[in-house]
Amino acid sequence: MTVAIRATDLVKSYTPGLRALDGVSMQVNSGEVLVVMGPSGSGKSTLIRTFNGLETLDGGQLDVLGERLDANHAEHRVRAIRRRVGMVFQQFNLFPHLTILDNITLAPIKVQNRPKMEAEQRAIDLLDQMGIVEQAPKYPAQLSGGQQQRVAIARALAQDPEVMLFDEPTSALDPERVKEVLDAMRQLACGGMTMVVVTHELGFAREVADRVMFMDQGQVVETSDPETFFSNAKETRSRRFLRQMV
Amino acid sequence: MNRWLDRLITLVLLALLGWGGTTLVHWLVIGADWSVVTTNLPLYALGSYPPDQRWRPLVWISALILLILFTLLGPRHGVLRRALPVVWIGMAPVGLWLLAGGLGLLPVATRDWGGLSLTLLLTAGSGLLALPLGVLLALGRRSDLPVLRMSSTAYIELMRAVPLIAVLFFGQLLIPLFLPPGLEINRVLRAVLAFALFAAAYIAEDVRGGLQAIPPTQREAAAVLGLSPVQTLQLVVLPQAMRIALPALTNQAVGLLQNTSLMAILGLVELLGISRSLLANPAFIGRYLEVYIWLAAVYWLACTAMALLARHLEIQLDPVRSNR
Repeated sequence: MTVAIRATDLVKSYTPGLRALDGVSMQVNSGEVLVVMGPSGSGKSTLIRTFNGLETLDGGQLDVLGERLDANHAEHRVRAIRRRVGMVFQQFNLFPHLTILDNITLAPIKVQNRPKMEAEQRAIDLLDQMGIVEQAPKYPAQLSGGQQQRVAIARALAQDPEVMLFDEPTSALDPERVKEVLDAMRQLACGGMTMVVVTHELGFAREVADRVMFMDQGQVVETSDPETFFSNAKETRSRRFLRQMV
Repeated sequence: MNRWLDRLITLVLLALLGWGGTTLVHWLVIGADWSVVTTNLPLYALGSYPPDQRWRPLVWISALILLILFTLLGPRHGVLRRALPVVWIGMAPVGLWLLAGGLGLLPVATRDWGGLSLTLLLTAGSGLLALPLGVLLALGRRSDLPVLRMSSTAYIELMRAVPLIAVLFFGQLLIPLFLPPGLEINRVLRAVLAFALFAAAYIAEDVRGGLQAIPPTQREAAAVLGLSPVQTLQLVVLPQAMRIALPALTNQAVGLLQNTSLMAILGLVELLGISRSLLANPAFIGRYLEVYIWLAAVYWLACTAMALLARHLEIQLDPVRSNR
């Protein structure tokens, strides 16, 4: 079992005295689906945003796919990681001035210098996989939230990442649109993708996660397999959180 | 009760409009003597350009008119439509070449340039110089580098605090001082430079408004895809920011065209300069009203064309046609 991401004693604070990450140590194994849960403000989004350098660190060290990040890493290390780590945001963050197809082919063409034809063929395949191939010539504003989020997943996959990060991917969606995005993620997990998913979707966590990590106040409270976590959580804080969710 | 008041107001307004309208039409048709305009049409269009070379500015103005008509009314798709941006940008250097000569054309000194062709060339030239400069200033003002940010801010604030006419006079006097000895640039070019330096400050603020409207999450999305900061700017941020800034930039373009009339004070015989020299001619003494109404009509036509073109561009750039 190889380790994709290893975090050691991460510290991050936005305002002095208040730690968003307060000594987080954890690891993500290759090929596993790790679901991160916790109340808002617990630091779970901050944590996965450090994995591809969107947040800087104040202390500790992070090994992502063999690249070392710490409080004073060089910028080129971050870019090396970003080419190998895909990310999906809560608000989709598609580029509104580009068509769906151009959204997906932008990075393969401009960052990886792939031929246009090849990148477009790959984009069409990915859209087909997401079940929205007919949307390719449209613009993001013409799509529903669920469709936009599936485009965002396809865009992240187009660079053939080794790890996918999901930052509350269904929180901005209408309830009836949540399932189509979760289905796409489930399909990805079945394909053996290494995934770190911040979510409040208990069903998804129970069914798809290999491990569930619970965070509160910038610290990891417990990490368990989903069955243990949902039926018999070790910590009282986890149990209190779960009681409020259902 | 209110209904009667409404009717009264409507009637009074109609009477006033009717009275004003008939008086105006009566003057336009019977009272006015339009010979000052009709006999001097070549002067208005071309200034005192050498008669045997007049086809050159005429070709340029006709090409511009054709291009405007094609852009607004031509087919919506095809090779010609896709070539339009390049053709539009090319119009300024082509115009400069046609007017100035060289490269196989007989050189014509700038003191012989004039009229509408000069007005249009001043507008196009200074606009094309001011736009990239304005974008750079806007980016500089939002930069993380303190010296770059502060000097951009200082430049913008200084230029906006000085009246255009002062900048133009400074341009005539100061630009020669900055040039190496022996190199001399002529009055028209100095005017265009001063004009562009002034307009760039205003354009920078319009572009900055566009840049600020782009949410930081767009930069994040580009960053996680591995795009470099320059690529992010070029492919993600600027295309969106410029579209947002477009209505404000149109305003600047219309203002630029009208402000070229200030060049008359510097002795350039563009549209206003020609009119002033005609009014000084004893043959047309006292024909102020005719000349200025004619002038207003020409400016109105040019500005309307610009506004229509800008509206057209806005619609073209709005992918989902959301605010039609």
